[in-house]
Amino acid sequence: MTDWLVMVVVTTTSVGLALTLGIYGTVVLDRVIGRSIAGEPLRLTRALVGPFQHAALLLLQQRSDTERSDSATWAVAPALLGALAAAALAVVPLTPAVALEVSSGIVYFGATMAMVMVAVFLNGWSANSTFPLIGGYRFVAQALSFEMPLVLVLIAAALPAESLNVADIVRSQDTLWNVVRQPLGLPLYLIAALGVSFLGPLGLPDGIDLAGGTVAELSGTALLLWRAAQAAVLVAVSAMGAAVFLGGWLGPWLPGSVWMALKTLLLIALMVVAKHLFGRVRLERFVVVSWVVLIPVALVHVFLSGILALRRIGS
Amino acid sequence: MLAALGAALIVFVAGLSAWLAVRRVGDVLNRPETTGPQRIPFSGGDPPAVHAWNRFHARYYAMALLFLAFDMEMVFMYPWAVVFVREGMIAFVEMLMFIVILMLGILYAWREGALEWS
Amino acid sequence: MVMRDAVAEGLRRLLIPLACRAPVRVFALAGVNSPTNIDDLRLRDDICLVDSPRSANVLWVAGLLPAPLQDSARRVHAMMSHPRATVWSRPSVMTAEHATLFPHATIVGPSEDLFEALRTVQRALLTKRHASDEALLPDEEPAPWRGVGPYGQGGTGMTGGVPYGRPMAERAPDRDGLELDQLPMRIGPFFPPFPSGLILDVRLQGDVVQEVTIAESLFAQGNVLSSGESQGDLLRDPFRRALTEPVPVGELELARARHHLRWLAHALRVHGLEALGRRVLMFVPALEPGKAGDILALRRLLDRIRTFDWSTAGVGILERQQLSGRGLGPVARAAGLSDDSRLVDPAYDKLGFEPLVHNDGDCRARWRQRLGEVIQSLALARAGAQPAGGAGSVESPRGVLRPETGPTPALLTLLPGLVRGMEWGDAVTTIVSLDLDVREARAASPVETPTSGKPAVERDE
Repeated sequence: MTDWLVMVVVTTTSVGLALTLGIYGTVVLDRVIGRSIAGEPLRLTRALVGPFQHAALLLLQQRSDTERSDSATWAVAPALLGALAAAALAVVPLTPAVALEVSSGIVYFGATMAMVMVAVFLNGWSANSTFPLIGGYRFVAQALSFEMPLVLVLIAAALPAESLNVADIVRSQDTLWNVVRQPLGLPLYLIAALGVSFLGPLGLPDGIDLAGGTVAELSGTALLLWRAAQAAVLVAVSAMGAAVFLGGWLGPWLPGSVWMALKTLLLIALMVVAKHLFGRVRLERFVVVSWVVLIPVALVHVFLSGILALRRIGS
Repeated sequence: MLAALGAALIVFVAGLSAWLAVRRVGDVLNRPETTGPQRIPFSGGDPPAVHAWNRFHARYYAMALLFLAFDMEMVFMYPWAVVFVREGMIAFVEMLMFIVILMLGILYAWREGALEWS
Repeated sequence: MVMRDAVAEGLRRLLIPLACRAPVRVFALAGVNSPTNIDDLRLRDDICLVDSPRSANVLWVAGLLPAPLQDSARRVHAMMSHPRATVWSRPSVMTAEHATLFPHATIVGPSEDLFEALRTVQRALLTKRHASDEALLPDEEPAPWRGVGPYGQGGTGMTGGVPYGRPMAERAPDRDGLELDQLPMRIGPFFPPFPSGLILDVRLQGDVVQEVTIAESLFAQGNVLSSGESQGDLLRDPFRRALTEPVPVGELELARARHHLRWLAHALRVHGLEALGRRVLMFVPALEPGKAGDILALRRLLDRIRTFDWSTAGVGILERQQLSGRGLGPVARAAGLSDDSRLVDPAYDKLGFEPLVHNDGDCRARWRQRLGEVIQSLALARAGAQPAGGAGSVESPRGVLRPETGPTPALLTLLPGLVRGMEWGDAVTTIVSLDLDVREARAASPVETPTSGKPAVERDE
């Protein structure tokens, strides 16, 4: 029991710390990358203190309400999204020492990512306002399309490890990282990850064409918490990507946690670049491409990875 | 093993509490009351004629049904992935047959225009 | 309770100094005759323009608001969360009715520093030196509903009630045979992706636009461009001047390039490419005749990243016969018509001017057309001081401009048919691609609009 309590405390603390740093890092990267793509001077100090100033301003702003809004679900939506991100991050081994050895880690991660759909939909639905509502329904279509590739590439990575435990998948990359062993995996995963964190090309639920969509009726703390939860999801999927494709804590010279942090930041940066460079895609186009191209390619990827895993074990 | 899963679930509860706590802080810091005109949903400045909640035409319903079939397939793939290397080619061929049938389903749905709606 | 207040006070003391240095969250209401262009705020590091009034601290009223927009403006003000304030950039001339529109507003004259004013107001709001704007509209619900009906829901039956004073949506047939709710809604006049003042009555079924009509109030009296209120805007616009007097080709063509780039920045923003939009806006003040290097690089970049193409290709196709002979400028030329009144101007004739055309007539052809015209204009601008225009009509960036009207009324007549049946995102892409200016529409007669004599819903479709 004491062992278990220690495990709970260690995991909660490390996840809390990783999420806080990750959210902060995401906001800083977003600004730095956005400004460099815009060709503006970077102003690093502003970028570093900016997130605190923004957050303080939003904390001092009243939270808005709309006519006959569903206030209970509206309150729960950001908390659910944030909690799902935290829960997903819990099964990602940040270092070998604090790794939570959940034998069904990939299943658990897939389940949390599927529930993101509920959180985003609720946030759009609760306001009883048309644009957020459309944003919510858009996200459902988007989520039903990226969910399959997201989980399929993780399953493919589980094949050579013969385990759904994420720590085992990291250990299986001791000789060769999955990004090389399964070259289709990471690109497919990143597309799905953009979808699950509704960023840039797949930022359909909160597009400007909906005056902000699911965030159109948010202000103050509610907006701050929603944005933080969105960044938290990005951190969680990036950490999972780093563990599954980039060898997690593995790496020379530096401690495992530093490697993990660097790889996670790299994936976050890649997705933020995609956010600023690739404009919103059309939902219908994405649905068709996802079902006709991404899912079949992901399935082929699973079988190719399977054959490679068999040959490796056989030889 | 269940202990680790339990810890992961507790992280979920902790996340939920953290987000709700910050929300509470915001409500303490700011005035809660809103006026009638303040609650009008935003669509450019003019009030809506009807409530936004409606029997929404989610035109992708056919795709959603297709998803259900694939979601079940994914449930089979999780345990399959664990025993795959141990079982070898038999597992490979079995799953391949299953997936090929499902893929024919996608092709059929695509041909019927189930993935497009506007 | 005392404990809680003390903690709240302590927290506030901690947060206020931080928040005072944050960029000002501004929602902009664009009127006419504003001394500052809204694009100038987008490039500012200390200002954050938001897309919904909910999360703005400062409402910035840019210029004067024509009478039909004033009620909507007050409603937008009401939707903002506390603490909130109003900053009003006002030209020097204004009528008495404007003076009472926003009684709490901080007025910024043409020669004063708007950005400093915005920063000061937000700081003062946070430190409570400036009281948060109180409600301008009475605190009442749209209709009485409490206690009406058996459950107090405001009426009878599942959807018969009017909770909060609003009815529920009604069902209508759809093309796939399902009968689901059709949502009537009014969008505008301050919907950020659309030009200020554009008001659309839309019927949405799911996320598909079933019917669009252009609100009559758009053409209402007092909304008219020539009403003296927008004189300042007119004088600044070289194309307006070119109606009556010769204007140097260089000036006209640079103005055209600037206009198209501002449009492109807006279109990129609507497609989620905010950073690239700012990059485009930064080119605007630095444009020089003959120097199109940056623009060519931009075009290569947009070609390479593809997604802007994907989200605009095949969307909002306009046929040549719909456009021919109506002076619709880049929209017509993007559909393959070499429709350009510069062809009959001897000044341009001397320069060997040939209109640029694209053939597809969709949104992609329109943005490519405009970007191509920027490059063309920069080349033409080398002709410098050579005078052009003065013949009563001129090729403005939107199309043929005449003293009484511009291309917008004709584009507005095409709009309802064009966006019917589109997904909402595509409809926005299309409306943005038409580059409408409502001030031109106001001069047109309402009889020309497609709204007259048409049923509100086509039930037997």
